[in-house]
Amino acid sequence: MAKPKVDTALIETLAELLQRTGLTEIELAEGDSRIRVARQPQPLVASVPASAHASAPASPAVSDQAIGQAAAEEHPGAVRAPMVGTVYLTPEPGAPPFIKVGADVSEGQILLIIEAMKVMNPIRAARSGRIANLLVANGDPVEYGELLLIIE
Amino acid sequence: MFDKVLVANRGEVALRIIRACREMGIESVAVHSTIDADAMHVRLADASVCIGPPPASESYLNKVAILAAAEISGAQAIHPGYGFLAENADFAQMVGEHGFVFIGPDPEHIRLMGDKIAAKAAVRRLGLPVVPGTDGPITHEVMARDAAEAIGYPVLIKAVAGGGGRGMVVAADEPALLEGLRLARREAEAGFGDDRVYLEKYLDRPRHIELQILADHHGHCIHLGERDCSVQRRHQKVIEEAPSTVLDEAMRAKLGKRVTDGLVRLGYRNAGTVEFLYQDGELYFIEMNTRLQVEHPVTEMITGIDLVRAQIEIAAGEPLGLAQTDVRFDGHAIECRINAEDAKTLLPTPGRVQAYHAPAGPGVRVDSALYAGAGVPPYYDSLIGKLIVHDRSRADCLNRLRRALGEYVIAGLPTSIPLLQAIIREPAFVEGDYHIDWLAGFLRGWQTGN
Repeated sequence: MAKPKVDTALIETLAELLQRTGLTEIELAEGDSRIRVARQPQPLVASVPASAHASAPASPAVSDQAIGQAAAEEHPGAVRAPMVGTVYLTPEPGAPPFIKVGADVSEGQILLIIEAMKVMNPIRAARSGRIANLLVANGDPVEYGELLLIIE
Repeated sequence: MFDKVLVANRGEVALRIIRACREMGIESVAVHSTIDADAMHVRLADASVCIGPPPASESYLNKVAILAAAEISGAQAIHPGYGFLAENADFAQMVGEHGFVFIGPDPEHIRLMGDKIAAKAAVRRLGLPVVPGTDGPITHEVMARDAAEAIGYPVLIKAVAGGGGRGMVVAADEPALLEGLRLARREAEAGFGDDRVYLEKYLDRPRHIELQILADHHGHCIHLGERDCSVQRRHQKVIEEAPSTVLDEAMRAKLGKRVTDGLVRLGYRNAGTVEFLYQDGELYFIEMNTRLQVEHPVTEMITGIDLVRAQIEIAAGEPLGLAQTDVRFDGHAIECRINAEDAKTLLPTPGRVQAYHAPAGPGVRVDSALYAGAGVPPYYDSLIGKLIVHDRSRADCLNRLRRALGEYVIAGLPTSIPLLQAIIREPAFVEGDYHIDWLAGFLRGWQTGN
């Protein structure tokens, strides 16, 4: 994993913007570098400015106060990562994804895969319904308990 | 050198490692359970990964989750701290097999020293003194009598399969030996389903003396002197100090040479601590800890050597920048372990810190992950802080310790600070005249008194 030079000031500006506007995601591309700031519960804080002062809030430069976010957190159909690892939305590279937003899924159906230490762990739907939100992208790292998607 | 190190621990030791990383220009990755999301190690690290629910077996002991966290965060090396997976040879091996560097010794040495009987046999071959005893189990009375004569009374009869004090009988003479043998066998059979016992010399008032070593990947091994950790309760150290009041310079140098020569022959690498019992001028090996120890700051204070930094440099393949003659001992240091436990009942007291004020001033060091508002969850160790003081002499050090303990405020949950204040006032402690069972005796009076 190459170590990109992180513009922490820029991230902070984007995070503030995100907060103020109530948006859930801002992506900024400039040449080869791409910065995406999104509201997510407890994201993997890859190179967030180290909040060396004790009183700073733990992780993200972004807090989750948006109503949409809070509702998603509370949603009975919220599907969370049961383990830390890497998300794959397709059964194999190049194949169509297991699920799409708006599609219907039935109980027991594979929603996505989380890879932990070369082991592919299928994550199955605990209930039938429609995919309302998909909050992770193919190849995303996820933490334990991170919100993956919502089934309505 | 590494760009990014994952710290597979929590609490004060995670902080200790994160601090070393920051000073070395290395990015740190904290891992945490859900209940530790606001913990100080998560706040101070450059990145963090939630690896599981609160129970340690599903988070801080979850090898797969920790390795997955290393993968997704792009860490190159993993520091295990102490406790949790620090002495888990299988984990150290998995770390290596997945292309990461384990900041600690080779798995084979962790495995060897984890097997207490094999470890003893190995260090004896390396020329270190062990407690005199029979090599194998005692099979008949004549054998027991001859062995006890050779070892010298009093002797301790121990179950081969034993542990936790069960199946152990002290015999002061031959009649007691023969009677104790039957008793110990029956206890061993009842307790462990194995009636084999062996004999060992019984030490009635030993001190716990341990030697800190550092060994690189280029055949160099040095020692950083001893720590005296005799003030302990149920094998849990409470106060540690260096240097010990019972070792002189010649004994230290002699012990250091034997240990470092032995470990070079073994091919041991990284930091380690070799533990001994000391009585009547003799030292006997008990075990080796193949990791950083809780009480390492005591050694750092008197030598000025950063042990965690040294561990990381060694793991990165760098040679030790120090010869034995470069190691100087300056003054005296004492560490007090502060636990979230009731000072009288000694029962754990998890909760939330309402107000927090750490002592400071000359010669004072506090290693703690506490802050006002911090939670002390019931799932993990009750150690919440370490107060370490350093001064020119032991007497000065004790004055400084009294002063610093008096400044320490942790409001919201009971801590062991009142007990520590009482211990350091005891004449036996002040005079340095204690042994490993001394605290148990003190506590009997402390717990029943007002």
